[in-house]
Amino acid sequence: MVQALERPSSAKLPPVDHPLADIIHRLEAGGAMIPDTPENLMKIIGMYKAYSIPMDFYWRDLLYLGERVFIDPFPFFKYFPTKDYFDLLNHYAGDTADLRIWRGPAHAHPELMEFIEKGETGKLPRLLHHLWHDRINMEFSEDLARAMMWHRMGGQLDVYLDSDEYKAAAHKAIRAYFKRNPLMLALHKLFPDLFLEQARQATYMNVLGLFWEVMAPVFFEISDRYDEGSIRSVKDAMNFLVNGIFAIAGRPIYHHVYIDDEVHVLVPKEKGFMWLYEAAFPYVEAVFYRTAPFRGTKSYNAQANQVPSEQVDFHYGILFADKFPVGTAGIPPTLLHQDMYHFLPQYLRDHFHQHCRGEDDILVQLGIAFQRSMYTVTSAVLQATRAAFYYPLDDPNPEHLMANRRFFIAQMDRFIRPQYGIVDACKIRNVQDPNYR
Amino acid sequence: MLLTLLILIPALAALLMSVLPERLLRPVALAGAAVTFGLSAWLLSQLDLQQAGLQFPEFTPWLPPLGLNYSLGVDGLSLPLIVLGTFLTLLVIFNGEKSSPRLFYGLVLVANAGIIGALAAQNLLLFVLFYEVELVPFYLLILMWGGQRRERAAVKFLIYTAISGILILAAFLAMGWLTHAPSFDYGDLQLAALAPTTQAILLALLVIGFGIKIPLVPLHSWLPDAYVEASTPTAILLGGILAKLGTYGLVRFAVGLFPETWGSFASVLAIVAAASILYGALAAIAQKDIKRMVAYSSIGHMGYVLLALAAHTHLSMVGAIAQMISHGLILALLFYLVGIIETKVGTRELDVLNGLLNPLRGLPTTSALLILGGMASAGIPGLVGFVAEFLVFQGSYAIFPIPTLLAVFGTGLTAVYFVILLNRTCFGRLDNATAYYPRVLWPEKLPALVLTLLILVLGVQPTWLVRWSETISQKLVAAIPTTTEIVASIAPSLSSTHN
Repeated sequence: MVQALERPSSAKLPPVDHPLADIIHRLEAGGAMIPDTPENLMKIIGMYKAYSIPMDFYWRDLLYLGERVFIDPFPFFKYFPTKDYFDLLNHYAGDTADLRIWRGPAHAHPELMEFIEKGETGKLPRLLHHLWHDRINMEFSEDLARAMMWHRMGGQLDVYLDSDEYKAAAHKAIRAYFKRNPLMLALHKLFPDLFLEQARQATYMNVLGLFWEVMAPVFFEISDRYDEGSIRSVKDAMNFLVNGIFAIAGRPIYHHVYIDDEVHVLVPKEKGFMWLYEAAFPYVEAVFYRTAPFRGTKSYNAQANQVPSEQVDFHYGILFADKFPVGTAGIPPTLLHQDMYHFLPQYLRDHFHQHCRGEDDILVQLGIAFQRSMYTVTSAVLQATRAAFYYPLDDPNPEHLMANRRFFIAQMDRFIRPQYGIVDACKIRNVQDPNYR
Repeated sequence: MLLTLLILIPALAALLMSVLPERLLRPVALAGAAVTFGLSAWLLSQLDLQQAGLQFPEFTPWLPPLGLNYSLGVDGLSLPLIVLGTFLTLLVIFNGEKSSPRLFYGLVLVANAGIIGALAAQNLLLFVLFYEVELVPFYLLILMWGGQRRERAAVKFLIYTAISGILILAAFLAMGWLTHAPSFDYGDLQLAALAPTTQAILLALLVIGFGIKIPLVPLHSWLPDAYVEASTPTAILLGGILAKLGTYGLVRFAVGLFPETWGSFASVLAIVAAASILYGALAAIAQKDIKRMVAYSSIGHMGYVLLALAAHTHLSMVGAIAQMISHGLILALLFYLVGIIETKVGTRELDVLNGLLNPLRGLPTTSALLILGGMASAGIPGLVGFVAEFLVFQGSYAIFPIPTLLAVFGTGLTAVYFVILLNRTCFGRLDNATAYYPRVLWPEKLPALVLTLLILVLGVQPTWLVRWSETISQKLVAAIPTTTEIVASIAPSLSSTHN
């Protein structure tokens, strides 16, 4: 099922002997982990478009959670960010952008605002939309942030969260947050780690919000360029992502909490935490590969001996997730699928209607297409990592090419692990097949 | 005339199948089946529940020298079964058949006419005529629309049921000749005058003859092949109504004509019933093919009918008749759903099927109904299976406690194999590599939904199931001496022998 691949013209290495050799050769040729076909391109771009609009809500609400909700023990309205957050200007879109990635406006996407107002059911009070689940499901993005935290992802940031400096800033913010609540202050005194952990969680919410603030305009722009005809191959799309990643790599990662008109700096910009290392790489590792077992799933899979005893072995991320809502593992993909479903471009909706059960199983088809698109993002990250730490693909030195190959092989080895059924759960072989829908 | 009409309508519709253009075949067949069902349902509504005797009688001398008369009539035993038969025929025709529809509809309608005729016949030779008439269409239905091993299954079915017919015919002829009856009309036969041994032989012929049709262990070996190899519509008719001709025959001709001898042999029959129940359940547990599993379950469930007939209390008689109807509905539903699964998934293998309850890619409605069908078959309260089985057990326990307890254990085993079936088929994770099943369309779901509705409604309102048969059951039971009476009747002769 795997396509025959072009080898780089400068190749000086013999063919690799590996179960995923074709994919390694494709990566060495500058390609992605999925075959470069028009249908794959249409699917991944369509999914980026469908993903980007909920993502525009996710990052705004995640910043709201990190900055305003913070450690609220009863955050009943945490999915109702204030108008300020919808008006918040994206730093990578609009006329005010630091670096303009998307040519569109900086405030919340018009399709998002329209959906928030009307949903599927029509114009109703937001609370009713919320209770009826006719809304953007923030639970998904919260799970992702928690997965990053659970796996202690975040490079130097994770270490910093255990530092005395962070603890002192966090305790100060916690005391300020509960200054009119003696009960909570007493609780904080008794169990100082309790709200500290909540503060760390809020920091990860903020980190993910900052990550997606970049990715949303990247996806908006890539979709527009595809519509205009300037993105013509999977490789083009991946290169756009790689270029985007490098362009933004140095963006500072920080966490500011706003309490009563005061700004509490938990993670200062001056610490030099960078978007690429503290948000992008950890996100891909935690979310695409590992994720966290969501509630109710761990015991289910433990009965089937599918849950690793070591946290580091937990591999049930987006790339591995079961697309079916029964007995699934990893991040609950159905919530995201439902969110993306509302914003599918017409060409992709038409495509899904022509296959399998059409509208009836569109969420499954959508999930599989999403998996393909995330394999492309993962490919972009692998190529970016290779570019950052290894050698160019057309390097004349065979030793350097071999170093690149060892890197790609090490990455592909992660998909063929026999432990806990990972080799079967991983869909990398499936997504090579155009008929896998 | 109404009963004649009930036989003639499907027969005429079958004749029309040979001349109509193809586009009219299904509508006309459907209309014929619908009118037949409507008429039978109307007759049921007109049945006088207080009257134990025959109703809507028709009599026309046909060949008086042979004792063959065109004598028809129905009661609370036969008319519910007629309604069941016409209903299942309607569902089968509604479901349609794309391959050779002309012949298919024709054969189904002829079979329907034959079954109605057999259930309404009040002359023993007329019964045999109708009984044999339905044999040919069923043979052809298995042979032409069956699975890979259909030829073997069809021949086996033909041989077994032909032997069944011969045994029954032999018994009927002997009854007429030995009693010097003026005709073979049911009311003309005075069998009480025959020697007990002769009665026992004739009864044995009938039990074996009808036992093949039911079938009872060890006369059952044609059933798994026929049920499994037959197409879904044929399997529904085979299990849903044809097998009921066997139990009907036992009640009408064995219990009805040999009440005293029946009472004497009841203990043996109860043991056979218990053996059938346990064998059917254990064999079903061992199966890997879900259709074969359902087929074996049928053997077990027909054993309940025999157990109830053997116990011959009023309650057990009502239970036996209720079980016939209940089993007809449940088996039809199960076979229908298995047919959908086989069509959509392409296999009936337990080891391959998985996760069909998946709401997006699986067969969720089919699976949900399969769960309900399995629950009904296992006798879960609130469903029609419970009503029938509870009546059987309640009515039989006082007479045959051990066979009844074994039967109750058999019900437990039914739950075991249905849990195995449902767990492997409906639950678990659907594999996306194979889950490219076509969706089940509404017209395909409709027959299953109708059957489910009946199973539910009759489960919560059992009066609508049992009210028809209460009077006839009373009459049948009154004619059979109890075990105490039998012992009392033979005690003087035993004591004189000892003296």
